[in-house]
Amino acid sequence: MIVHRKFSIPIAAILLLLCGVHAAVSMEPIRAAQDEQYAFFEAKIRPVLVNTCFDCHGGEEVNNGLRVDSREALLEGGIYGAAIVPGDPDASLLIEAIRHNETAYVQMPPDEKLLDHVVRDFEAWVKAGAIWPSEPAWQPTDKVEAEPHWSFAPVKTVEPPVDMTGWSDHPIDRFVRAQQHERGLHPNAPADKRTLMRRVYFNLVGLPPTPEEARAFMADTSPNAFEQLVERLLASPQYGERWGRHWMDVVRYADTGGDNADYPIPEAYLYRDYIIDSFNTDKPYDQFVHEQLAGDILAKTGPPQRYAEQIIATGFIALSRRFGTGPYQLNHLILEDTIDTTGRAFLGLTMRCARCHDHKFDPITMEDYYAMYGIFDSTQYPYAGSESFQTDRNPRTHFVPLLPLEQVQSQIDAYQAELSQRRKEIEKLEHEGELAEKRNSIKQQIESLREQINTLKSDGGDTSDLESQLPVLSTQQNELTDQINRQKGDLKQKLPRSDLPADMPQAYAVRDGEAKDAPIHRRGDPAQSGPTVKRDVPKFLNGGNALDIPEGQSGRLQLAQWLTNPANPLTARVMVNRIWQYHFGKGIVTTSSNFGRNGSKPTQPELLDYLATRFIESGWSVKAMHRLILSSKTYQLASNNDAHNAAVDAANDYYWRFDRRRLEAEAIRDAVMSISGLLDPSRPGAHPFPPMEKWHWLQHIPFPYDNVTGRFEPTPYPSNHRSVYLMTQRLQYHDYLGLFDGPDTNTTTAVRTSSTVPQQSLFLMNNPWAHEQAQAFARRLMAFSHDPVERINRAHVLTYSREVTAEEQQRAEAYINRVDEELTTRELSPDQREFEAWNSYAQVLFRSNELLYID
Amino acid sequence: MSKQHRFNRRQFLSCALAGCATSVLGPFAKLSLAAELYAGHPLAPKLTHHSAKAKNLIFVFLTGGFAHVDTFDYKPKLQRDHGKEIPAWGTHKPLMGSPFKFQAYGESGLMISELFPHLGGVADELCIINSLHTDIVEHFQATLAMHTGSSTIPMPSIGAWLSYGLGTQNLKLPSYMVLCENIPYAGTQVWDNHFLPPVHQGVRILPGDEPVANLNTSTDSVTLAELEQMMLRDINELHARQRPDDLELLARMNANDTAVGMMRTAPNVFDLSEENDATFNLYGLPREDNTSFAWQCLVARRLVESGVRVVELIDTGATNNWDAHGNMADHRPKAERVDRPLAALIKDLKMRGMLDETLIAVCTEFGRTPFSNNMAGREHHATAFSCLLAGAGVQGGTTYGESDDYGVEIASQPCHVHDYHATILHLMGIDHTKLTYRYAGRNFRLTDVSGNVLQDVLA
Repeated sequence: MIVHRKFSIPIAAILLLLCGVHAAVSMEPIRAAQDEQYAFFEAKIRPVLVNTCFDCHGGEEVNNGLRVDSREALLEGGIYGAAIVPGDPDASLLIEAIRHNETAYVQMPPDEKLLDHVVRDFEAWVKAGAIWPSEPAWQPTDKVEAEPHWSFAPVKTVEPPVDMTGWSDHPIDRFVRAQQHERGLHPNAPADKRTLMRRVYFNLVGLPPTPEEARAFMADTSPNAFEQLVERLLASPQYGERWGRHWMDVVRYADTGGDNADYPIPEAYLYRDYIIDSFNTDKPYDQFVHEQLAGDILAKTGPPQRYAEQIIATGFIALSRRFGTGPYQLNHLILEDTIDTTGRAFLGLTMRCARCHDHKFDPITMEDYYAMYGIFDSTQYPYAGSESFQTDRNPRTHFVPLLPLEQVQSQIDAYQAELSQRRKEIEKLEHEGELAEKRNSIKQQIESLREQINTLKSDGGDTSDLESQLPVLSTQQNELTDQINRQKGDLKQKLPRSDLPADMPQAYAVRDGEAKDAPIHRRGDPAQSGPTVKRDVPKFLNGGNALDIPEGQSGRLQLAQWLTNPANPLTARVMVNRIWQYHFGKGIVTTSSNFGRNGSKPTQPELLDYLATRFIESGWSVKAMHRLILSSKTYQLASNNDAHNAAVDAANDYYWRFDRRRLEAEAIRDAVMSISGLLDPSRPGAHPFPPMEKWHWLQHIPFPYDNVTGRFEPTPYPSNHRSVYLMTQRLQYHDYLGLFDGPDTNTTTAVRTSSTVPQQSLFLMNNPWAHEQAQAFARRLMAFSHDPVERINRAHVLTYSREVTAEEQQRAEAYINRVDEELTTRELSPDQREFEAWNSYAQVLFRSNELLYID
Repeated sequence: MSKQHRFNRRQFLSCALAGCATSVLGPFAKLSLAAELYAGHPLAPKLTHHSAKAKNLIFVFLTGGFAHVDTFDYKPKLQRDHGKEIPAWGTHKPLMGSPFKFQAYGESGLMISELFPHLGGVADELCIINSLHTDIVEHFQATLAMHTGSSTIPMPSIGAWLSYGLGTQNLKLPSYMVLCENIPYAGTQVWDNHFLPPVHQGVRILPGDEPVANLNTSTDSVTLAELEQMMLRDINELHARQRPDDLELLARMNANDTAVGMMRTAPNVFDLSEENDATFNLYGLPREDNTSFAWQCLVARRLVESGVRVVELIDTGATNNWDAHGNMADHRPKAERVDRPLAALIKDLKMRGMLDETLIAVCTEFGRTPFSNNMAGREHHATAFSCLLAGAGVQGGTTYGESDDYGVEIASQPCHVHDYHATILHLMGIDHTKLTYRYAGRNFRLTDVSGNVLQDVLA
């Protein structure tokens, strides 16, 4: 057979040659080629060495003096000499051995030759120089790279430069203007008042102003009108719903587990509401971080009235993605999700890579990864159900009561004692009771029959008569077993499905488990333990001070405190950058969850540091950061294009205008419902999941299949509440949110994309939901006035927060008449025709760019 | 496609491997979507990495894991040693010979079981791969792997990758369409775009009266829909006039037009009235039927004919499928449902000269154990199973790879799911190592860091 390796080192080598000319100016191609080689090693070579050779040539075992666990060891070789000659496979003993040539000194592995293509991989690897990525790839390779990476250096204290152009005194503007000035850019004029109003409404609360609010603001000519509007919006409960949703993106919020049957977590909403409330109360960000990582530990010593809230906060950890069909299956991947989300959300570091190998770009080692791993491995995660909840009756476990344990422990103990008593009773059915006794007697009959058969056989007698009795008896035995199992199943069916009493307030949260350091998983494989690593944060960031974790604790509190230590160079920068991103549509660092070497560089590094400093100084107040940003002229610029500026800075990296952008999925839906009048602004609470007795989901019939009808509901639990309250599933994208670039429900989402596809138009045109909204909007307009002129104006005020123009007025009237005329061919009453015409007009407005885009 | 755009695309492809795409795109990086739209459409046909025969893919996924040893992997020794115990799962399990007879088909003499007599009839078009293997032996994970290359974390589906890499030939239809009556394991993730732009997401076709969601106009007439469309364009043009140079606003206006185009085009594709009786007979399809697998196969041909890049057929959902733990006889109705339509599809494409440009992949998530717990059914088996390739660029009438005497392990020419994907991409003109997308700070690809093209499969 011939299997060509497309993923080959020669390609990388050719690339190296081709790109050599550019090497002086860019390291990218070389790094890419090196990456290919590393990837090849990790994919093709290391696994074979570990799985096939390490047993005899790694760790404690060094048969014939040869170790194969590093390149140096291979070069040094064993008693036969060097195992490899880089560049020359034919001269390499290792290659000779694995080729299993009859004439070779040794044939390895001794039992069985490796597959041909594996041998060829090794040949290619040696030929290309036997590259072994023992040195982290991030290490400086030229002078430019030798500088410490910007985001790992401490936050600098910077003063805003003086604006020589006299444009603005605002500190943000002074940073921005200085860079513009250098490049010959000129900021746009300020946005008009209406545009600014609409911008800040959608930005802070995710909804358009009501006609009354709009009129009041437009009529307010006081110099601090905008400032007061900002305060009003920040104080509105809708602010937390808008900004909480941003954080929910970052913490990969979902209402289901992600296991193969995607079991619902009815308690998850408590964490959702916790997030919304935290934004509304302007909870200091450092406290917010502490609570989400270690709220359970803080609660023990905190004020009783905040006990429940702090427990709920650890939903951040509990919501780690689940896998498989049973409790804690692929646990190392659950923890990977926690570590990855923690790294990206708070530090802007991608740590996932270090599960299997040292990070290729950032100085994060496998040791760092497993130092963090130990912290979360010392944490007791809850189990919310999965296929085995149904098949093996595994109950939900380790949810956390919302009252201190000392208050509820006796109640829990009594409940669990009763539960285990009932389980014992059920198990007893195997041995006691009528059926078990019958089965026993049949079992004995079978045994004695077998004995008779054996005796007869050894005497040479005819056993066929006796043997013919066996099947009847075994059938009876099997039937009894079935009956016993059915009886047990029926009784188990009645058992409660949770290890806490159903009426006890509880959260999907975590608490400390057995405190222990974790071993490194070689190649990320939990079955291959390496040395144990002390629990800690990444070494390159800890300033030489390892975490001081008290005996018996997981270390989550220490991790959280370390994150929010003002000396930590990343945490404040990452958060102010996120806030900036949600105001301007892009971060100062555009890869807002990746501040590593592979992320983008800040366009305004000094501004970023200034904001980070102010953030910490303000007591980590998110609302103070909003006020600072929103009061800048930079935020208030018009969004129009400017040919001169665009020629220099087409991407608007230097903020000479405000970027026009499409509303996010939630904002479109909420705005449409607000305009149609169908929006229910109240907070809905828990999702209407079916009661636990009806949870029969399997991977074959995953949630949200309806067990009774067998129907699958792609968007279960439709509601008129704000989109932040829609039930969010890990495994099934919400059909609307998925279409309009909603969050990734499987992993942390740093930046929403903004796509433009025909299916979006089709949805807004033909989906029953869109139709319902348009009809409601039409009714609202018709109820407003009998005069078409007033209706059309009202439509503009509601949809665009402005009055209609004469030209628009004329066209709209013509349209209504034209549709009415078109409809005369149908059998419709004049009233129906009128309604259909307005309905049609409403549909058009809902799809118009002026609604979907914010200037 | 404008020259300017072609130039950028070629640069992009040639640089993707070297990881320098961002620097070459330079000022366009942040405007890349708009830049693409400016050239026409994000789904406009793209250049391939190498010339390829296959222009379209029909990806047939038979759900639940059909038993390789009962279908395409003939094991005489398994028959002979029926009942003999072999070490398995830490204990011993009895081998179970196939309850189905195999026979040689076609000039090539491929051995195929009695479950697939019609596919036997087109044996000389098939390449049977008997050396598939996958990583996790659970339906969910293995189904995800066969679609996305990843068995744990969701990734873009192969159809989405092909749409992203190749674009499509008919902008009035989605580039990737999935005929799927019931939701499969892992749900909609199997055709999801994930981090690729949503325009590459598989569009589900629900056999029946409303095959594509949101395509049936809510108004009574297409005329009214087009009237609305004109008004919308009018309003949007007025809006755009005050905001000159904004490509994204124009792109959305174009997308609205395309949507109306889809509403006009798609119903024709699903209207089979112009097909002749011979075709209906070939597929074994009654005229009034608009749900069966035969209907789906015929629609698949029409979609490919209309220029849809990737059509996927999912035969059943997460229940009532090939998952025959209880009794292998349950394979019979499943096979009867798909055998004739699949064979008809191949014949039909061939008669129309379309098989030269259409690749057909018939696969499943894993195989089934050659041994049995109850001597009637078989359990899940990941270390060896069978899939098919047929059509454009494929060496027909051949087998690739072998499992061992009983079909437990692979004996030669292993084919990991990544290899299967790499080969499909290769046949479609794409080098699987170069089709990358930058997301969350690194380049991702369908085949992760592995995958070999099965050269012996290529014609």
